[in-house]
Amino acid sequence: MSAISELTSLRRTRAKTADERRQQRKENGRDNKAGYLFLLPWLIGLVVITIGPMCASLYLSFTDYNLLQPPKWAGLANFQQMLHDERLHQSLKVTFIYVFVGVPLQLALALAIAILLDKGMKGLSFYRSIFYLPSMLGGSVAIAVLWRQIFGTDGLVNQVLRLIGIDSHTGWVSDPRYALGTIIILHIWTFGSPMVIFLAGLRQIPVMYYEAAAVDGASRWSRFSKITMPLLSPIVFFNLVLQIIGAFQSFTQAFVVSGGSGGPSDSTLFYTLYLYNRGFANLQMGYASAMAWLLLVIIGGFTAINFFVSKYWVFYDD
Amino acid sequence: MLAESGFSLWKVAAWVSTEGSFLQARRSPRQSAPSGSLPARGNHRRARGPLSASAGGATTSGTRETDQAIKAYTKANPKVTVKPQPGEWDSYWDKLSTEVAGKNAPDVIQMDMAYISQYAKNGTLLDLSQYGVDTSKFASGTVDAGKIDGKLVGVNAGINSLTMMADPELFEKAGVDLPDDTKWTWDDYLNISVELQAKGPAGTTGTQCAFPTDNLLQIWLRQNGKDLYTADGLAFDAEDLTTYLNMMVEFMNAGAMPTASAINEEVGKSMDQSAFGMGKQGFALYWSNQLAAINEASGKTMTMLRPPTVAGDSTQRNAWYKASMLWSGYAGTKNPEAVGKLINWWVNNPACANICLDERGVPANTEMVKAIEPKLTDAGKATVKYLDDIKPELGKTPPAPPPGSSEIGDIMQRHTNDILFGKDKPETAAPKIISELQAAIKNAQ
Repeated sequence: MSAISELTSLRRTRAKTADERRQQRKENGRDNKAGYLFLLPWLIGLVVITIGPMCASLYLSFTDYNLLQPPKWAGLANFQQMLHDERLHQSLKVTFIYVFVGVPLQLALALAIAILLDKGMKGLSFYRSIFYLPSMLGGSVAIAVLWRQIFGTDGLVNQVLRLIGIDSHTGWVSDPRYALGTIIILHIWTFGSPMVIFLAGLRQIPVMYYEAAAVDGASRWSRFSKITMPLLSPIVFFNLVLQIIGAFQSFTQAFVVSGGSGGPSDSTLFYTLYLYNRGFANLQMGYASAMAWLLLVIIGGFTAINFFVSKYWVFYDD
Repeated sequence: MLAESGFSLWKVAAWVSTEGSFLQARRSPRQSAPSGSLPARGNHRRARGPLSASAGGATTSGTRETDQAIKAYTKANPKVTVKPQPGEWDSYWDKLSTEVAGKNAPDVIQMDMAYISQYAKNGTLLDLSQYGVDTSKFASGTVDAGKIDGKLVGVNAGINSLTMMADPELFEKAGVDLPDDTKWTWDDYLNISVELQAKGPAGTTGTQCAFPTDNLLQIWLRQNGKDLYTADGLAFDAEDLTTYLNMMVEFMNAGAMPTASAINEEVGKSMDQSAFGMGKQGFALYWSNQLAAINEASGKTMTMLRPPTVAGDSTQRNAWYKASMLWSGYAGTKNPEAVGKLINWWVNNPACANICLDERGVPANTEMVKAIEPKLTDAGKATVKYLDDIKPELGKTPPAPPPGSSEIGDIMQRHTNDILFGKDKPETAAPKIISELQAAIKNAQ
């Protein structure tokens, strides 16, 4: 036992007078009070704008509620209706395509760019900022509006295509065959935030591993697959979980690009967009609440699966 | 002791909207433009700004005039404070329904025909006839629209009618004559559009595709002795709709309209960005009070035509006046008398009419029209004349659409898209539209 800890334990066990004990309690109380005081804003926020509404929405999901009249208890009717709601199924399909195509491509791009930037080039921080920029802007209305222009009939994309000899008159965002694709491209383009996290992860890998591998004559690919990937796997996992959760909740891009309708022909009807339309445009807040809880279950399920599968591929170096 | 004393906070929810594109109405219903949107001055997007001059920096004439009117009213009634509630049209209905749910809705509410029965049937709106709102000077057929179950729940703030706008410059360039709008048929409409698209400068399209809107559908239905709605359901069937949608296919196949993806792209565009506003389209459907806005956006003087008819005779088209917007009172207000008084002042007082002019459509009170007419712009005068000219063509005032029917824009847009992109046919799409619409109406009961 070190001298300091010995001293501490001596102090603690030393017999205290009643006065000292009262003093001690007072101090502890004050510490706790200060702690709670600092916690208060967050605590209020948690209760008032997260837990409260969640409880309310759970209750509303079992009711028929049109916002104008008090909710009427409806039991499981909303959930039963969801089984037969073709537009709901379409919105799930759209969202799943978005998640399963968009997220892996985005992460792959983020990783590739991070590895490029990790080579230690000149002006790294400049490039890092440039590549990160879309992430900051990507979810914004302005960019979605811009996207509409770029992929429009007379937009930049078609102009470039015409330059290289392809006479395209398709409005990429207004044709049901391509509309979802353009939104996925918009998502992939916002690879900045996972990229920055990858970059930080790459910086954590000790250089000596690579030096040892180089001495042993390991190829570039085996250095990547045997050193980089295993050591980076916790970061990949982290990004994967976060991005999947985020992608399931995507709303703004589809809302702006489709003008709020999820069109053309429901090709960009994201789950959250349909939920919003049900709740506010069709005044079916009960049904929208039920949809919200289904989304929670879906996201929870995917996250659980992710954690389960992670045991087999995520490598913690400790 | 009346309402004014102890009356401090007053909210008026009113939107100064210059939502230009008529196609806007095809977006989901909560986004559909108010038919009585105000004439734009300059940039349309900015013009859609909040009512309160302090918020958002929107300085459009609409905002100014509403503000001036409120100022004039509070000057004459110093005990009343009116607090305009700023807002954007895009999120107007979302906001209003949330406020009603939270029991903190504005005392005076801007209402639209598409939603009035929904709100009235849920007991949200005041019976204004009990609170001194006088409609005795209103033009015939302009009061009933605001009456639901015998109660006056909305007061017409301005009247409107649909008109087929034509771009005379484009017609001249293409060497095509404008039709005689008292005699032209839907076939003429088709043929002229095709001719214009073929002969006009590169990029010209004959007509805007207004078929997905409930407005064009209603024009056509009423000529066929039907209508969109009865007081509690649909007044047309799948067979009617199939015929109508086949007409759209005919227009598309004949080359009278833009391509399917271009039609889609028009949705949500501002007036000055739309094909018609840019002078690249022959015809577009608008509400009569949008003339000033479209002239401003395009820099041209557009011609207002009566929509084409089945019979080739405009007197048989069963035209109707629509409330461009309505003033309603919130049933939960603490001061119903004050609400009634303000609304009454807004629609019946010459002082107010002289400030607002035709910003919210031509006033329903005929005396007000006479009072303001000399002050109107050319477009304003043309609109008054159009509304006057079509008087012999008016049919019965359509009943207020039943609750839930506001989804029609959304439903029509989705299914007409399927048809335009070749994924569906009118014969199979029409029953789907009908059943979805019926489900929406049933759901809202």
